[in-house]
Amino acid sequence: MGAGVLILLIICGVAFAGGGIILSWAIAKRSTNLVKGEPYECGIPTSGTSWIQFNVGYYLFALIFLVFDVELVFMYPWAVVVKSVGMVGLVEIVIFMFILFMGLLYAYRKGALKWM
Amino acid sequence: MNVATILFYLLSAVILGGGLLAVTSRKIFRSAVFLLFSLIGIAGLYFLLEYEFIAAVQIVVYVGGIVVLIIFSIFLTHGSGGDMEKPVLIRAVFSGLAAILGCALTYLFIKEQVFIKSNAAAIEPSANNIGSQMLSTTEHGYILPFEVVSMLLLAALIGCIVIAMKVKTEK
Repeated sequence: MGAGVLILLIICGVAFAGGGIILSWAIAKRSTNLVKGEPYECGIPTSGTSWIQFNVGYYLFALIFLVFDVELVFMYPWAVVVKSVGMVGLVEIVIFMFILFMGLLYAYRKGALKWM
Repeated sequence: MNVATILFYLLSAVILGGGLLAVTSRKIFRSAVFLLFSLIGIAGLYFLLEYEFIAAVQIVVYVGGIVVLIIFSIFLTHGSGGDMEKPVLIRAVFSGLAAILGCALTYLFIKEQVFIKSNAAAIEPSANNIGSQMLSTTEHGYILPFEVVSMLLLAALIGCIVIAMKVKTEK
């Protein structure tokens, strides 16, 4: 039964997303001109390509994000059972988060969270 | 052929197609996006097996984290928008051979392995079960690995800051 519902969901999702695109393609008027191709309608004209080399700072943020992303994975099953486990569960997660908070503190003190 | 089988082949097509396009695309950014489709397909397989927690982990960590990291590292390079040059034929042939041999070796190992059927009832892989096992302080609980994981994450965090900050100060 579950798989049938999933297939129905996939069909509905494709119809929902694709239907709008096809309908607007079918009934909308089309025109192309130079101004329409601009990324911003008004403001400073853009120059060069958007494929520029990014600052290494973004990468650092992505790495820190990933670490806390993995932390979140462990907090999810904890959150499901914390009520039944009670006080012990709370103490366990406090230790867990305290150790990771040290990491955040380290990142803060090292200036990794500061934008250059 | 029931619905689950059709879904399995559909998801397999997404995974393999995404993987194939990721390695054959000549634009590196598109490769990363095709990898995204492949990883989402794997999450779909987990959902099909009713491993909801693993599927959620797959989406949160791999789709949401690793691919973002890959995309950022692509943007760190100079030629993120350009086409890569066509691979040398001999290199393409040998990497194809390596892939085929790797698959054959894995297949051989699985085929030779004798899987012993367990009599114990399967543990339901729900988030509830995982959580209570993880936080359990009894003999077979996983509380120590759970706390050690936070140490591991701390080491990873400090490691990435030390390495990335070194690059930053050099600039």
